[in-house]
Amino acid sequence: MRTPDQQRRGRLAWRLGALTIVLLAAGLAAGSDGWSMLALWDTLQRGDAALIVGQIRAPRTLGAWLAGALLGLSGAVAQGLFRNPLADPYLLGSASGASLAVVLVLAASSLTGHGIALATAGAVARLGLVGAAFAGALLGVSLTLVLARGAEQTTRLLLAGVVVGVLLAAGSDLVTSAAPDALRGKQAFMLGSTGFLSWSACAVLAAGLLVALPPAWRLARALDALTLGEDAARSLGLSLVHLRAALVVALALAIGVAVSQTGLIAFVGLVSPHLVRRFAPAPHGYTLLASAATGGTLLLAADVLARSLIAPQEVPVGVLTALLGGTYLLWLLHRRRIA
Amino acid sequence: MSAAQEAVALLSADSLGVSLGSTRALDNVSADFEPGWTAIVGPNGAGKSTLLRALAGLQALQSGNVRLHGKALREWPDRERATRIAWLGQQAETTGELTVREVVQLGRLPHHGLFGAPTARDEAVVDAAMRDAECLPWQTRRLHELSGGERQRVLIARALAVDAAILLLDEPTTHLDPPHQIALVHLLRRQAAAGVTVVSVLHDLGLALLADRLIVLDGGRVCAVGRSDEPPLHSRLIEVFGGAIRIERVGARWVPVANLER
Amino acid sequence: MTSSRRRWVRAIVSCVLAVSGGAASAQPMVVRDDRGLDIAIAASPQRIVSLLPSLTESVCAVGACARLVGVDRFSNWPDSVRALPKLGGIEDALVERVVALKPDLVLAAPSARAIERFEGLGLKVLVLESRNRADVKRTLNILARVLGAAPQAAAVWSRIERDERLAVERVPAHWRGRRVYFEVDATPYAAGAGSFIGETLARLGLVNIVPNELGPFPKLNPEFVVRAQPDLVIAHNANLAEMPKRPGWADLRALRSGSICGFEPAAYELLIRPGPRMGEAAQSLATCLAALPAPGGALR
Repeated sequence: MRTPDQQRRGRLAWRLGALTIVLLAAGLAAGSDGWSMLALWDTLQRGDAALIVGQIRAPRTLGAWLAGALLGLSGAVAQGLFRNPLADPYLLGSASGASLAVVLVLAASSLTGHGIALATAGAVARLGLVGAAFAGALLGVSLTLVLARGAEQTTRLLLAGVVVGVLLAAGSDLVTSAAPDALRGKQAFMLGSTGFLSWSACAVLAAGLLVALPPAWRLARALDALTLGEDAARSLGLSLVHLRAALVVALALAIGVAVSQTGLIAFVGLVSPHLVRRFAPAPHGYTLLASAATGGTLLLAADVLARSLIAPQEVPVGVLTALLGGTYLLWLLHRRRIA
Repeated sequence: MSAAQEAVALLSADSLGVSLGSTRALDNVSADFEPGWTAIVGPNGAGKSTLLRALAGLQALQSGNVRLHGKALREWPDRERATRIAWLGQQAETTGELTVREVVQLGRLPHHGLFGAPTARDEAVVDAAMRDAECLPWQTRRLHELSGGERQRVLIARALAVDAAILLLDEPTTHLDPPHQIALVHLLRRQAAAGVTVVSVLHDLGLALLADRLIVLDGGRVCAVGRSDEPPLHSRLIEVFGGAIRIERVGARWVPVANLER
Repeated sequence: MTSSRRRWVRAIVSCVLAVSGGAASAQPMVVRDDRGLDIAIAASPQRIVSLLPSLTESVCAVGACARLVGVDRFSNWPDSVRALPKLGGIEDALVERVVALKPDLVLAAPSARAIERFEGLGLKVLVLESRNRADVKRTLNILARVLGAAPQAAAVWSRIERDERLAVERVPAHWRGRRVYFEVDATPYAAGAGSFIGETLARLGLVNIVPNELGPFPKLNPEFVVRAQPDLVIAHNANLAEMPKRPGWADLRALRSGSICGFEPAAYELLIRPGPRMGEAAQSLATCLAALPAPGGALR
């Protein structure tokens, strides 16, 4: 006999699954000639169908879901770890950390005379930027935790996140004033976009998800214990230092991989856990997985819309996630359901 | 347990020294705790909560040791310690979406660990804890939907679910109305009678005097220790509170009365 | 050697030459782009996508305008390119749209993800960036070679030089050696002596208050400009209008005496684009200078 709670969780899972399948199909049909299933049929008849649908639309669609899943997962981990429903993984210094690291790599290569690093392409440079984004995200979040000293208090945490974000952004500005070429590269790199996702990008995103999700999910019960307060969690035998370290690494990895492939896309991390809580409140074991699925669906929807609304032009996907996410948050506030 | 271990106090504080910032919260505090119900009393800022946290292993000590079965707490593995000492804090700022049952189930965490699955025995303990704390009817409701008093009972149930030999409670009567305060007193007495070492910080002297033993703290120091029905202890208690109370006998019990003629 | 054998030898030699010449033109051309990569281009590209306005202009200048199938959103000269499909900017190029146009060559400036994505999808990308005069000449030559219009490059370049010479002649003598401040942005960012526009100004006989050591587009302390007291200020019309309101800037001699050259966006773009219209840019500046009254103050 399933409880109402379990029924709601099941319903959410089914709905997300169905929505995802529909959107994945829609993603194959959304392209530079707008959105229509008829146009898809025509496109498939063309000689370059394999290229257009298989090499451009398919990886972009799947990649949007994967990136959204990483963002959704990070949002749920951040909100659980910091016991704050307003924690956005970007607020914790991960975005500014990744940004600074990317700028440093670009500036180093331009200052040593290799010209604009991104233009020299190659797998090594790419790996360097991905690795830098990850390391930078880790640095940023750790700094925030250290400054907030355990993040027991909401205001201290948010303040620490803002301070770290501002500090690292200032560092980034300093570097780009010395190496202006790095500024252009950084802006291009950090501009939120799903438009360049290739199959290899999908592979990186999938790898990130496979590495970050299992440990976070296994530690979900620790997040449950944390809802009682840090002292209570410690009295239950949890080693908060180790747990925090593990969760921070998972968070930073997820954000770092997402940022390295799609730049900064707003709101998905913040809003996904809220959507899950609204439809199916649950312990963190369920919430983490559902947030990932919700984030994936959200970004996928935004990506399909971005391509379809003003085809052949595109609306920047960050604008749509902000609109969708921001409107929902406003509605939530209006109904006073923020826990 | 060997005879040697039985001779050592179950839980003891040895010359504890704790500084919080520039204040000396605990100064050379020593006490032994045995099965039974001990209440820690004293004026505001006396260090009661700090002492309880130290006993739970949650407080950094500048000097001294807390010993469990004679071994210093910091030498105990976290989970082992957690199965033997249950702690409930004073102001629990709970967050999240857990239901009442899920919260109480967290009390079994030290037993099955983060990765273990709860067993039938765990569920039975959880049921019993909720029954004792009188919150069984609401097990599917969310914690944040409950009133202050209802929530407190759930948190007490969580502490009971640990089924530990030592139960440390900081102001457990917060938010509880008189009937439930009485129920809690009965509960604590039952636990003490069953062999649990119950230590509670209570600001309500009337309730504190219902305990077996009292430890009186003032300014971070132990002023008096003894059975709760000993007049000499009462005198020390009155001194510590600056004569603001009298302690009078009513029937079989001792009752504090506000001294308005001071 | 008898005359008939001579004829045979001549015929064989010319056949061999013709064959080898033909084979040479059928061999892929290898061009080194600004990334330092050697790009092999099989035949003369017929469908070109340009993602940089100055490259669009260069393609049209060497006579291959008809081969453009798509441009970026900022390309606006000549008028015929305005009708072409717009493919976004460099940071947000519309990948699918570009691919759907089936280009055999994509011209781009260095950027983050677009180039790699296009190459991953099998498109040929030529990265060319023109920052100064020498770059413009080099870019023109490379493009003309790639497009099979090598002689055009020389023609375009000589036209540019002729326009510049005429422009220099039109600059009144009283402007030679005078000091100029060219503002790129109200922050203020200036165009230094080492920048592309700085080189043009130098050709016209003007001295830049921002020396080479400060870099091509330095962000200046506003005080620097006030202390330098340029004889001439060149900027957007909109910026010029609010310049006197900046603290201390009302004191600038050039502003007070009206020794200013203001440009609307279209004309301004012409000045700062390092492309084939450099000559017109020089002309535009010369026109302004010729219309201004003689500057006061001593030559410094």
